[in-house]
Amino acid sequence: MDWYHWMAIAALLFCLTSLSLHLLRLWRLGNHHDFSTPTGKPSAAMPYAFVGAMSPTRKESAYLHLPTYVGGLLYHIATFLGIALFFLFLVGIEIFQWLMWPLALIMIMGAVSGAAILVKRMVKPQMRALSNPDDYISNLIVTLFQLATAAVLFWPQLFPVYFVLTALLLLYIPLGKLKHAIYFFAARYQLGYFFGRRNVWPPR
Amino acid sequence: MKTYTDEKKAAALAVLTTQADAKLITHMNSCVHCGLCADSCIYYRAMPGEKYVPAKKVDLVASIYRRYATTTGKLFPKLTGARNLDDATIDEMIDLLYGACTMCGRCTIHCSIGVDISYVVRKGREMLANMDLVPATLQKTVDAALETGNNMGISDQDYTDTLEWLEEDLQMEMENDNAKIPLNATGKEILYTLNPREPKFFPLSITAMAKVFEAAGESWTLSTRMYDVTNYAYYSGHLEQAAIITQRLVDEVHQLQAGKVVLAECGHGSRAFRWEGPNYIQQAFPFETITSIELMLQYIREGRIRLDPSKNKEVVTLHDPCNLVRSGGVVQQQREILKASVLRFVEMNPHGIDNLCCGGGGGQLAMSEYNDRRMSIARIKAEQIKATGATVVVTPCHNCVDQLTQINVTFKLGVQIKTLAEIVADAIVLDK
Ligand code: SF4
Ligand code: SF4
Repeated sequence: MDWYHWMAIAALLFCLTSLSLHLLRLWRLGNHHDFSTPTGKPSAAMPYAFVGAMSPTRKESAYLHLPTYVGGLLYHIATFLGIALFFLFLVGIEIFQWLMWPLALIMIMGAVSGAAILVKRMVKPQMRALSNPDDYISNLIVTLFQLATAAVLFWPQLFPVYFVLTALLLLYIPLGKLKHAIYFFAARYQLGYFFGRRNVWPPR
Repeated sequence: MKTYTDEKKAAALAVLTTQADAKLITHMNSCVHCGLCADSCIYYRAMPGEKYVPAKKVDLVASIYRRYATTTGKLFPKLTGARNLDDATIDEMIDLLYGACTMCGRCTIHCSIGVDISYVVRKGREMLANMDLVPATLQKTVDAALETGNNMGISDQDYTDTLEWLEEDLQMEMENDNAKIPLNATGKEILYTLNPREPKFFPLSITAMAKVFEAAGESWTLSTRMYDVTNYAYYSGHLEQAAIITQRLVDEVHQLQAGKVVLAECGHGSRAFRWEGPNYIQQAFPFETITSIELMLQYIREGRIRLDPSKNKEVVTLHDPCNLVRSGGVVQQQREILKASVLRFVEMNPHGIDNLCCGGGGGQLAMSEYNDRRMSIARIKAEQIKATGATVVVTPCHNCVDQLTQINVTFKLGVQIKTLAEIVADAIVLDK
């Protein structure tokens, strides 16, 4: 292993430890005790909170903004795929030749979507007003990570740059909004619990 | 130049810096500033612009959280836009959290992540309430409830006089001299509550519900000591005052040894008592609590009242009170009732848990300083009503009735606004 591998591993450990602490804190606190008498079941609402309510037919933030929704979806798919590839690169597993192009295409589509979202944030006054430096940095670093992932598929000599960039990303995740990787699931859970107890979700 | 004292700021920050609430921590950390919640909010729809994007309200509170409760916010506040709780921030909080949100929760169900935006607004209001910064108009309503037992400050004499003439009305309507509006009767199955707007402005809805009870042969009573279903401290964010108001109704149920509480048609009142009340007083209620809507549907299903829909021939539409549907899960019941009570029922679009707020929630009706804003957002509801072609708008909420009545006049809709009990009472077939 080279120095940049170790660097990435250290960053990964920092990232996983920080995110685990966030998760553990939520886990330990559990559901706040609610004294009201439920009329519905949170367990029945959970699948809806995580799947049905997220569907573009149900969510206005999706169906009124389809291009952004599709872009966001691609961006996230590419991010998760990029993380999976990072683990493969780290342990040195070779990727099949025939998979190179499809993987690179997904990463590039993700990066293009990420860049489009970034441009939107920069040019729309309303988005600018809502944004802080973390929003731009998070968007940019993930987009660069996707581009770098696509690049190393074809140019292995770029691995040092790739691993340094990935290490930076991993170090940055717990600091800003990228930790929504954890809080997204927590928020969906909280909504499922709230709307489930009150028999609002799943809708009838 | 006003300066809020450090002591007050500390009281406000205590709401956020508690590290003991997973729900709070979750919603403070979840917003990704995508801005996609904008179109879900009536304020933004009526007045597009960055100010009224729901995420702006979330960020006002969450940025303070970041500043005081996260390491990144403490060390590098600029990086995540973490804000100090300074005078400018506090003023903006008052304006946006009290003056530009009905706490309708529509943005919550449409948020791309799942941030409970109205919950965050509530937390922000709690902070302001801890600083004694509840708008005076809203606080006056809470104070009236605390001082007189009802939020409109109706005197006992006026209340009992009104109920007396309503009882006479009921007897004429039912052609039955034994029809009663029982007061302070002990050991009844039901303690019924009222929105004080009823005895003050809309007494016919009391007669209507009394007719339903009478037709169903129900054992029920009203109280003269504590009948107010509302709890404006839910809106102000003052938890102790909300607990006092809740406890009074709980005590009255015990005093009258009633079997259950039936909550009048009031969206926030039913939410504040049924769902938030036990948490305000940190105790589960030892009695059943249901809304009059659920009760009326039970009567219909059990055949305790018979309805003739041909008695309501007009085209009727339904306005869903946000607190009742989106935060109370009472969604289909009012539809089933209407289908049994009227000939022609048409839905608004959107409706149910996706409904658009009328603009009167969140305490907006009490806060006259925001009247212009309230009536600006009301245009959206007016257009929705117009599009249905209905001549009657039914809503199971007296706050909504009030707002819809103003919408009706302002936008010249020419419709009638009714409660569900009124529609049901009109359709009742009495056994002679
Ligand atoms: S949709 Fe949700 S995550 Fe996006 S800006 Fe609005 S509140 Fe934040
Ligand atoms: S709760 Fe309702 S009024 Fe408040 S921001 Fe959300 S959609 Fe707008």
